Amino acid sequence: MNPYLAGIGLGLVLLASFVLVGRGLGATGAFNSVIAWVVGGVAPDHARGNEFIAGYLGDGGASPLKSWLLFEVVGLFAGAMFSGLLAGRAKVMTEKGPRVSVRTRLAMAFAGGVLMAFGAALARGCTSGQALTGGALLNLGSWAFMMMVFAGAYAVAYFVRWQWR
Amino acid sequence: MAMTAPFFKYGMFGDEASLVLAFLIGIGFGFFLERAGFGSARKLVSQFYLNDLAVFKVMFTAIVTAMLGVTYLGWIGWLDLSLVYLVPTYLLPQVVGGLLLGVGFVVGGYCPGTSVAATATGRVDGLVYVLGIFAGMFAFAELYPFLKGFYLSGSGEALTIPGTFGLPYGLVVFAVVLMAVGGFYGAGLLEKKFAAAGE
Amino acid sequence: MSGWFSRLTLNQKLALAAIALGAGALFAAPYPGSKVTLDARELALVVGTEADHVEAPELAAWIIENRADYRLVDLRTEKEFATYSIPTAVNIPMSVLPEAGLGRQEKLVLYSEGGIHSAQAWMLLKALGHKSVYMLKGGLDEWKDQVVFPVLADDPTPAQRARDERLKAMSAFFGGQPRSAASAAAGEPETPGIAAPLTPAVPKVAAPPSPAGGAKPAVKKKREGC
Repeated sequence: MNPYLAGIGLGLVLLASFVLVGRGLGATGAFNSVIAWVVGGVAPDHARGNEFIAGYLGDGGASPLKSWLLFEVVGLFAGAMFSGLLAGRAKVMTEKGPRVSVRTRLAMAFAGGVLMAFGAALARGCTSGQALTGGALLNLGSWAFMMMVFAGAYAVAYFVRWQWR
Repeated sequence: MAMTAPFFKYGMFGDEASLVLAFLIGIGFGFFLERAGFGSARKLVSQFYLNDLAVFKVMFTAIVTAMLGVTYLGWIGWLDLSLVYLVPTYLLPQVVGGLLLGVGFVVGGYCPGTSVAATATGRVDGLVYVLGIFAGMFAFAELYPFLKGFYLSGSGEALTIPGTFGLPYGLVVFAVVLMAVGGFYGAGLLEKKFAAAGE
Repeated sequence: MSGWFSRLTLNQKLALAAIALGAGALFAAPYPGSKVTLDARELALVVGTEADHVEAPELAAWIIENRADYRLVDLRTEKEFATYSIPTAVNIPMSVLPEAGLGRQEKLVLYSEGGIHSAQAWMLLKALGHKSVYMLKGGLDEWKDQVVFPVLADDPTPAQRARDERLKAMSAFFGGQPRSAASAAAGEPETPGIAAPLTPAVPKVAAPPSPAGGAKPAVKKKREGC
């Protein structure tokens, strides 16, 4: 799809979120809710003792799974699957360049996820929550974050090009 | 009674309904992410090798669209912008976080939202990336006592660019639009130049 | 002119639309600031029917039942609040009310010394778009008269006796003391200024009211993030 049209579509979804619910999109928080739920179930005292996780457990009244972002991310999954199936882009495969093995690629994917998690935790969001949402609202921290994401990516891209070329 | 938005903040519906909306909004989100091709790591990463700048185009078009929408709806008084949640600014952690995120992006090939989209369309690396996020988040939580000081460094205020620099809101909006359109034009030129190098 | 436009590509048309809208935005100021609009007829109706009043004994019952579905707001100064306040109340002086960050759909019960400030605050909050705002009828004056120092019948009939027992229990709960009708009718001076802060036998209320209201925002805040 024309990237500009896809962007307009995305922007309208974001706008709808602002208008209906008074908040923007996101993804990172959903992961935290799941972690809080798992840790809270397996080791509740440890979860309560950990300030970061406890924040997602709230006052214990409701399950951490009853989180707006988690429901949104589940919807994300569904919407993406639908679009992929519609376009014939749905396929079980590993995205990688020709010169790297699947195993290496998956290891890098995992490492990337770990790095991303730290980044998103520190920044209070990721490209969805901070860049898109905060960007549209002219949030100062979000714009700074966004520029840094591009900076970091461009800086390191050269050194991992073997993964993609 | 004037109908104003955000509807949820005005009590038009309750928590349960907002969760249903979250799911529906998420569907729209995931749909357009995949439509743009962002379920593929190679497409996403092409941004940083200058072959295919769709990431920039999609992201900034979305930002401009929502930004203009919010500005106009706020201006006519239909949307109460002060009730839309603005993530507090913690400048230093956000700057460092952004750098880490950028690195994680080219190393892993996704960001959190797109990794879910990729998993939904069968990408094994997307799934592994998601697992990486869980592992990383858990590690962060465990290390939180040591990171807390840095994590909380900053004002923690909800700041906007116009507010911080004392500029009229509309002026900043216009500037962003110009920058984006200029960027799109430049992106087109860059793509023509570097497309040959990619696959 | 239309020919020129139709010869542009879709992307170019979009770019032009964006620039046009961006230019239009130069004249926009989306943050509403502190201007408010009122629906005069609606407000007059509500005021006329006293729909937004809460009687003192009613509020007392809510506190005793430990209801948590509302927030009790004391509009007086910090000093007055420190001298005496209704248990479970949170102190938000009139001057900082607009910035207090109260949720638009939160149920609020306002009180002040008499009723004037709470009425003005009520008007202000309704104008800002709050849906569920109530005032303590008669304010702190009525609270003292009806709840803390309630008047008992002098020669109670059986029905009155039952009511008196309830009043006694209620006033004891709030560390007060019932008065007899005779002393009240005798125009006894204003219920003695309660010098020492009362410590009602309300174990749960002993905890500062903020966590009840504060923990929730904390939870919500975390969840509202990205």
